[in-house]
Amino acid sequence: MTELRSTLAGRITLTVLSTLTLLFLVLPIVVIVITSFGKDAFGSFPPSSWTLNWYKVLFADGSKWPAAVSLSVLVACLTTVFSLILGMTAATALVRSDLPLRTAVYGLVLAPLVIPQVVVALGLFLLFEPAAMLGSPVAIALGHTVLASPIAVMILMATLKGIDERLEDAAASMGASRLTVARRITFPLAMPGLIAAAIFSFITSFDEFFISQFLSSVDTVTLPVQVFNVLQYDVDPSVTAISAILIAVAVLALALVAVVRRLGGSGQQEGLLPTEPGVGLAAGGETAS
Amino acid sequence: MAVLAPAPVSTAPVPGKKRLSRALSERRTRFGLLNAAPVVVYLLVLFVYPIFSTLMLSLKGDDGAFTLHWYADAFKGANLEILLTTLRISAETSLLSLVVGFVLAAAVSRLKPLWAGLVMVVVVVPHFISALVRTYGWIILLGEHGVVNNALTGLHFPGAPFQLLYNEVGVVIGTTSVMLPYTVLLLYAVMKGIDRRLMAAAASMGAGRLTIFRRVYVPLVAPGLVNAGILCFILCLGYYITPALMGGPKQTMVASLIDTQVMKQDQWNGASALGIILLLLTFAGLLLLKLLQSAGERYRNRGTAP
Repeated sequence: MTELRSTLAGRITLTVLSTLTLLFLVLPIVVIVITSFGKDAFGSFPPSSWTLNWYKVLFADGSKWPAAVSLSVLVACLTTVFSLILGMTAATALVRSDLPLRTAVYGLVLAPLVIPQVVVALGLFLLFEPAAMLGSPVAIALGHTVLASPIAVMILMATLKGIDERLEDAAASMGASRLTVARRITFPLAMPGLIAAAIFSFITSFDEFFISQFLSSVDTVTLPVQVFNVLQYDVDPSVTAISAILIAVAVLALALVAVVRRLGGSGQQEGLLPTEPGVGLAAGGETAS
Repeated sequence: MAVLAPAPVSTAPVPGKKRLSRALSERRTRFGLLNAAPVVVYLLVLFVYPIFSTLMLSLKGDDGAFTLHWYADAFKGANLEILLTTLRISAETSLLSLVVGFVLAAAVSRLKPLWAGLVMVVVVVPHFISALVRTYGWIILLGEHGVVNNALTGLHFPGAPFQLLYNEVGVVIGTTSVMLPYTVLLLYAVMKGIDRRLMAAAASMGAGRLTIFRRVYVPLVAPGLVNAGILCFILCLGYYITPALMGGPKQTMVASLIDTQVMKQDQWNGASALGIILLLLTFAGLLLLKLLQSAGERYRNRGTAP
């Protein structure tokens, strides 16, 4: 026997406690999905009868949700583009070159993940307010990119490390130019990583609240800011439906990442998360401003 | 290490080996600088400069002269109370997520890989769902006639229904569920690496379960506990959504105060000072983490030094 056997009582206690903890994580999500189909909005649980009405209300005339959704999608798309460009170049510099001050650059890139987001949001507000750019989708996307790019860099660094550099050298030695190597060798091999980085950048921006809150104006409001306002000020049962949709989007995005990783199949990256425990986790992170 | 581009054979006809390798390394350096430039410039303009201007603003009086009175204000009366509340709620949250995370991570690290993977999916997926949405879920769950209170009343739990929303209990529950995935992942990473035979060895020498836990297991997990605890604390400091939605007036945290000062009172200087205080607290936390890590390193390496 090389292992210390656990007692039966110990095992049962541990199982019960960890099941409770898992419920603790999952219940708030499940309850929203179920309630969103219930007739009595937030009345009793489980709901006594079912309806799709809250979803229909979302798209009824005069609803403020479609505008918020389309702004959020636009901002998230812009953020994804910015963060992929920054992520790919930065990862290349950090993994494939002799960069002077490499540690300092790496530290700078990861810093936005630990700096309180209020501080980032406040600084960006001070930057964009005088420029009269509050409420501009570009300004919000530029702000979100500060949070999304570190995640993209981490994912793409892991991806580049997993690509055999000799393949690039081989192409180069046959006379391929740097651009051709990137286009024909590196990018196709890095595709799973690029897709994962794109998806994580998108969700980071789509769920981001605090920077959007500071950079929004009265008539341009992103989806999370709208949800927050509804929860804080007026009670509107359709918020349950929109929350359920947000859950579905996040779950689908994660499933997509899992599929891409599986198909990319090089198997060097396990699980859903980028490397670097802790910091890597901040991937969804900011949602938690 | 190889290069991305063809070796510059054409440019250097028959150079000494040294010159060639120097040319190569210069090339790699130039290539690196070129690629690092976008992200560095971006972050300098949109991350470092804004924080720097926040710092400047926090030191500027109404007449534009240097002053510390915004900081003095931050440590006075109601503001000081909010600062202390922030520290208290962050500490409570980190402690609770450490304890709960410890139990879950310990349980998962004993599971077979397939099950462990499944459980970790359950832990990680919520992390990628908007914290706002999860907070809303808690509001539904913890209300006076919410699921939790209904269940407790149904079980004739003494004292039920409880007030679980708009007080500190609610805030700590909500914030903990947001922070828990971090602690579980950090602790799990450490626990997975522990050689379980060490515990068996201790048992074979006659150590009781409690002694093994206290003298063998906990010291081995300690680096993860420190790491997870401090990181969780730092992330809580600037947290806004859950305290704002699930807390009462007594649970106002610094981030809410900054928000009110900027959006409602146009009090940018005061808000900047509060932001800088949060930033300094974060740096202090990171520094403490570094110090504890290197102290732990020294402690583990004791005796191996010459």
